[in-house]
Amino acid sequence: MLDLILALLSGAVGGLIIAMMPRASSRLRNTIALIFSVTGMAFSWRVAQLVFAGESIRIAGEIGGLSWSLEPDPLGAVFGLIASTLWLFATIYSFGYMANEKKQRTYYTFLLMSFSVTLGVAFSGNLVALYLFYELLTFATYPLVIHERSLEAMKAGAKYIIYSLSGAGAILIAIVVTYGWAGNLDFAGGPILASGGIRPGLSLLLALFVGGFGVKAAIMPLHRWLPAAMVAPTPVSALLHAVAVVYSGVYGILRVVYSVFGHELMGQLGLSYVLPWVAAFTILVGVTIATQQDVLKRRLAYHTISQLSYILLGAFTLQPWGLAGAMLHMISYSTLKITLFFGAGIIAKQTGETKVSKMGGVGWQLPKTMAAFGIASLGMIGMLPLNTFWSKYYLMKGSVAGGRWPLALVLIGSGVINAFCFIPTVVAAFTGERGKPTAERGAEVSLMLAPTVLLAGIALLIGLWPGLVWPGVQAVVNWFF
Amino acid sequence: MLLVMLPAIPLIGALALLLIRGKSVNMPLITSLIVLVLAGVGLSSVFGGMPLAYRLPLAGPFVPTFQADPLSAIFVMLAALLWFAVSIYAPEYMKHEGRARSFQLCTLFTLSAVLGVFLAGDLFTMLLFFELMTIASFFWVIHRWNKEAIRAGYFYLFFSITGGLFLALGIVLMGASTDVLPAIGVGPVTPIEPKMFAWSLALFVAGFGIKAGMVPLHLWLPHAHSVAPTPGSALLSGLLIKVGAYGLIRVGQYAGWGIGWGSGATWLGSSLTVVGISTMLVGVTAALLQSDAKRLLAYHSVSQMGYIILGLGVGLYLGAGGGLGLVGAIYHIVNHALFKAALFLGVGVIYVHTNETNLYNLGGLWRRFPMTAILMFLAVLGITGAPGLNGYASKTLLHHAVSLAAETGAPWLVWVERLFLLVGVGTAASFTKLYYLMFLGKPTKVKIADNKSRSLQLAMGLLAVVMVGIGLRPELFPRSMAAPAAEVLGMQDVVTTLAGVSFWNGNDLVGMFVTLALGMLVCWAGLRSGAFHWHPPIWLTLEGLAKLAGLGFLTLWRVGAGLYRSTVTAIREIGRTMGFRLYSACRRLDQSRSGTIGGVTLTGISADAALLMMTLAFLIVFYTLIDLGLPNLRLPFSLSQWMRALAR
Repeated sequence: MLDLILALLSGAVGGLIIAMMPRASSRLRNTIALIFSVTGMAFSWRVAQLVFAGESIRIAGEIGGLSWSLEPDPLGAVFGLIASTLWLFATIYSFGYMANEKKQRTYYTFLLMSFSVTLGVAFSGNLVALYLFYELLTFATYPLVIHERSLEAMKAGAKYIIYSLSGAGAILIAIVVTYGWAGNLDFAGGPILASGGIRPGLSLLLALFVGGFGVKAAIMPLHRWLPAAMVAPTPVSALLHAVAVVYSGVYGILRVVYSVFGHELMGQLGLSYVLPWVAAFTILVGVTIATQQDVLKRRLAYHTISQLSYILLGAFTLQPWGLAGAMLHMISYSTLKITLFFGAGIIAKQTGETKVSKMGGVGWQLPKTMAAFGIASLGMIGMLPLNTFWSKYYLMKGSVAGGRWPLALVLIGSGVINAFCFIPTVVAAFTGERGKPTAERGAEVSLMLAPTVLLAGIALLIGLWPGLVWPGVQAVVNWFF
Repeated sequence: MLLVMLPAIPLIGALALLLIRGKSVNMPLITSLIVLVLAGVGLSSVFGGMPLAYRLPLAGPFVPTFQADPLSAIFVMLAALLWFAVSIYAPEYMKHEGRARSFQLCTLFTLSAVLGVFLAGDLFTMLLFFELMTIASFFWVIHRWNKEAIRAGYFYLFFSITGGLFLALGIVLMGASTDVLPAIGVGPVTPIEPKMFAWSLALFVAGFGIKAGMVPLHLWLPHAHSVAPTPGSALLSGLLIKVGAYGLIRVGQYAGWGIGWGSGATWLGSSLTVVGISTMLVGVTAALLQSDAKRLLAYHSVSQMGYIILGLGVGLYLGAGGGLGLVGAIYHIVNHALFKAALFLGVGVIYVHTNETNLYNLGGLWRRFPMTAILMFLAVLGITGAPGLNGYASKTLLHHAVSLAAETGAPWLVWVERLFLLVGVGTAASFTKLYYLMFLGKPTKVKIADNKSRSLQLAMGLLAVVMVGIGLRPELFPRSMAAPAAEVLGMQDVVTTLAGVSFWNGNDLVGMFVTLALGMLVCWAGLRSGAFHWHPPIWLTLEGLAKLAGLGFLTLWRVGAGLYRSTVTAIREIGRTMGFRLYSACRRLDQSRSGTIGGVTLTGISADAALLMMTLAFLIVFYTLIDLGLPNLRLPFSLSQWMRALAR
């Protein structure tokens, strides 16, 4: 229990400390941020370890008659592991990236705060806690989105707030209805609505839930805030808009499907035949739009939209293999996408280029960055030395097992379009004049480069040895099936 | 352990090469020699019926396993031999091309991946090395980094990636149709769901077919093989496309070699036969029309892969009697690797000295390059199937298999045999053209650099020795290596079938000479009439059709994108107008200075504000006076009660 509290609090406490030290040198601030990221990560690892060992950790309370609880189960533990591990990488990357930026105090404060909030989403044990942290996440990350304070940033921030809050409103209504029907919002005792069986309006409720969480999971057509939010500093885009924030939406949908409705009840709803196709549509259209984007970060954003729906597709297959694929993709995709974003950030920082069409020769200046970027690109296609092959494999397996083999074809098609999306980017970077790798020298670049390369290495390692993450995936699947 | 070591050796070599800076070491030569020796010593036992297997102790869904049966052993030795020969050649050649170090690295990585594919013991491991091979060899194709090379590289990579994805889906369906994923070297599989099994086989065929240059999935091949540096081309054409053929043999094993109609997948044999013969035809026709030597050779790779696919198809089709087809295909894989590599290397020698690969700009080179001319002549004889060289042996076997099928099988197979002979003529014609235009004919006006090609010719000579050796003792390889391989694959009767074939019979010899003579005649006619310069209309070539389809798709895309954009703009316009109207309506309300509510006229305050304040007041009064139970605050409504009330 102490582990859980410490994991949750370390980010918030660190953020508060940084906020209260306006005059701190950037070295001191970085040290504090690093310490609290590491503690947060260590304790979430500990929590995950306990959860996988089968222990139950529970903190609960009541506000105004509504009980909230924090009780991580394997799904939450996996999400917590992903978030906390990647947070450390992103924090280290930020040291390099933000070194010469203004408003560092605000940045680190909210970066650490949103760490706590994300872990709160992950470890929530009922819908009330999930909802509270989900809403909080919007506010905790808003200052990061508008970090630039330019007109574009403010507009993006407004879009982000409006989209997220509307989604949260839908979720609130859905939670109220769920409570009215089931009288219980806890995840622990099996699917909340399963005992009630089929009743009228259930599909509508599901639509409300999926629509609400779907805003942050960027299901098309609820995705428009995500490309706009790319004005944020790159570590934020990488961590929040490729992983933490969007994963909170995905996590919400996973919860709804497997903890609120349950796969058996879902299977009886007509909507469950439509939802995989919504995900498939998002997969194909998202990545196709991505190929048309010239600004690298926007390209990555649309690609994020597409990839998030892989996870949803796996969840919506309602098959053990599909869920395994979804969990694997949550793990694999996050490592690769952060690598891509980090790479894009290094390119933008060191050469000033943000457009793909102008990146000729960048590869010679930043060979290591581009190598990591290239590896991650191959991963996005789903080629074997990379971890995403395994998620794709299990997603396809789940689709076929559920009797929906055309979904497997969608995944194949998406892989090919992904190739068109990224391979030319990488190859183009190595055309043009053959320069010296000068842009890759210096302490700041190394701080950015190290997490990038390390993450690409981790992706390769998991790809060659998926057994490394398999116990976690298996625990989640066994939990729900 | 040996099985892991073999792919690991080139990797270690590559790492060592990365660490050594400054000095030039011919690492591919060293590692391929080690691999060749190790494989020769270690894998010889598998021909005696002692397959090797190794399992990496990893937990989780992916347990890499390795295996070696005679088929794997043949391919491993072939790869090592070819790499060795090309590595003798490469350093001298790459002085001309530049960036020798990165070429060496990529050669080592590719060797490792190729060995891995041949030694893989399960489908995942095979796919892993297959994809690694794609990535590593991609750098051969784009070695020159010019526009043409990058274009060809994209072609290669996108086709290969699609192939890899097909294989992945094939594995998925295979797993779904059989409960437990079959390992490699196991077969035939008895599927639980035959339909899904069939789709899985089809996907495997497509995936490996892309690598093997199977029509219509061959479009990448001529580009990629002609633009790579010549040693790379030699290995791409000589060995990498054979990886596809290796895969097809393994797929055939799942369907069942030697069972034919008994297995679930009866369609596989006949469709491979049709695909094979069309691959042969398309390849040879396109090759005849080429003027670039390397492109001509590349198209011939397509055509010769057709022979191999045809052999596999006929072997599957004939079932238990198809031993000749399978053995012929394996034999042709080996032979084609040898002579195609030699041909590419020969063209490379000329390119190094003249900077020219266009045949019509070359000519009369035998005076300057007598040794190369002789070696090339042997290779040309090999590929055209002249008796006394290796091509004759495998083509004879394949021809026997095809005529057996034509005699015993469905009526349409007669046409396959006729087309088979026609392709032989076409092959002879196009190589007569290549050789005539390059070494004979009018002397070229191109400037020729000094002849300094000792190591280049050594490599070609090595291949030529093997070729002639096979050609003089054609029965040796099938008896000692290919037949055991086929037997392990499931062809029980192969030894007896093979014993009935004599390579030096009159019919075959005469047939071959007639083919060669006809080929020369065709070539003469073609050169005289200028038919070789014919450019087929765009709708007649596959590439043109693909281009048309691409254009059509692009147009559709543009139309769709335009429609989408105009719709979005329209919606946005409507939204903006409505928003403006709403806003102005609100403004009007807000600015009204007085209003009437319930007969009471309020001045100085707008009606809406009054309404809002009244609501708030009511709520405050309600919660403070009526419902003070803040700690047990219930939601003001309960849907379940409503539902119950409604139900009543």
